[in-house]
Amino acid sequence: MTSTDDNDLIGLFRKGALFAFEALVRKYQDRIYNLCRYMLQNPEDAQDAAQDAAQDVFLKAYRALKDFRPESSFYTWLYRIALNTCLDYRRKSRREALRNEPLPEDLPSDEPFPEQLYESEEISESVQLALQKLPEKLRAAIVLREIEALSYEEIAEVLYISMGTVKSRISRAREQLRRLLKKNMG
Amino acid sequence: MKCTHVKKMISRYVDDALSPDEKKDVDSHVRGCASCREGLEEIRALHQMFASAERFPAPYGFATRVLANLEEKEGSRLRSLLAIRPLFIRAAQVTFALVVITMGIVSGNLLLAERTETIEQAAVVQEAFSLDLFQATPPDSIGGIYSTLMRPNHES
Repeated sequence: MTSTDDNDLIGLFRKGALFAFEALVRKYQDRIYNLCRYMLQNPEDAQDAAQDAAQDVFLKAYRALKDFRPESSFYTWLYRIALNTCLDYRRKSRREALRNEPLPEDLPSDEPFPEQLYESEEISESVQLALQKLPEKLRAAIVLREIEALSYEEIAEVLYISMGTVKSRISRAREQLRRLLKKNMG
Repeated sequence: MKCTHVKKMISRYVDDALSPDEKKDVDSHVRGCASCREGLEEIRALHQMFASAERFPAPYGFATRVLANLEEKEGSRLRSLLAIRPLFIRAAQVTFALVVITMGIVSGNLLLAERTETIEQAAVVQEAFSLDLFQATPPDSIGGIYSTLMRPNHES
């Protein structure tokens, strides 16, 4: 994630080279899509929602790129857009769920968990389900740390919070997840 | 060191974000404290669970769809962006257009010249056929008399 390369591409884009924006999309599409998968709702419907959200992220980035200031890195800026977009999607789907059926968050807690987890798919599913029960702020911090493997400094930059707050949010998120998974698997 | 203090450090311990002294303190505490040892093991297991959880790459054609989406929603701006091209590309485009037009005119003229020739040849061939093999208007028919009268230097 070298920001000099990104800044070169942003410079080219501002001069009118659309291919430079395409290069940025291709460079970050997997990371942004993956982030959306883990930030959004239930694993079953996360696929479509994540794709829509990730599309929106790049559309927003395209529109806002002229205001981007190179003192922060492009990818932390992009991650911030992605987290805000996911937050909007969750609010929207929660409103729709309220209108139609009971809250989707209430459902997974009764689902049985497999006793042993072998496949990465199964692991990601149980992790995703547990993640959905965390408060937004804790979920964002732990997903950036564990799924996207960002450092504490990078997370502080994405979330606009102090290093102390990053450490405490990650610690609290882990503690809550530990209890959730223990309850489900025990 | 108290358990509450150690519990706050476990997360950073797993992330390898403690100073060597802090790490040493936690190590010596968990050796003697079963509860904190269990806590550390579970947070470590959670960390490994995340590490082996599936990573989802963007679906096939994602970037192409992003750009198509942009074109649809930001059409006019995008077109103006595309219109900005370096001058040498513009010059090359104009030259190419002129070459194509010139080639069109030249080849058109050549084809026309050739065609005129063949039309004349065809007329000669056709005349030869019609006079030698068929007599469209026999001399004693009304048409024959008429065409004989109409001939510029007829004998009668």
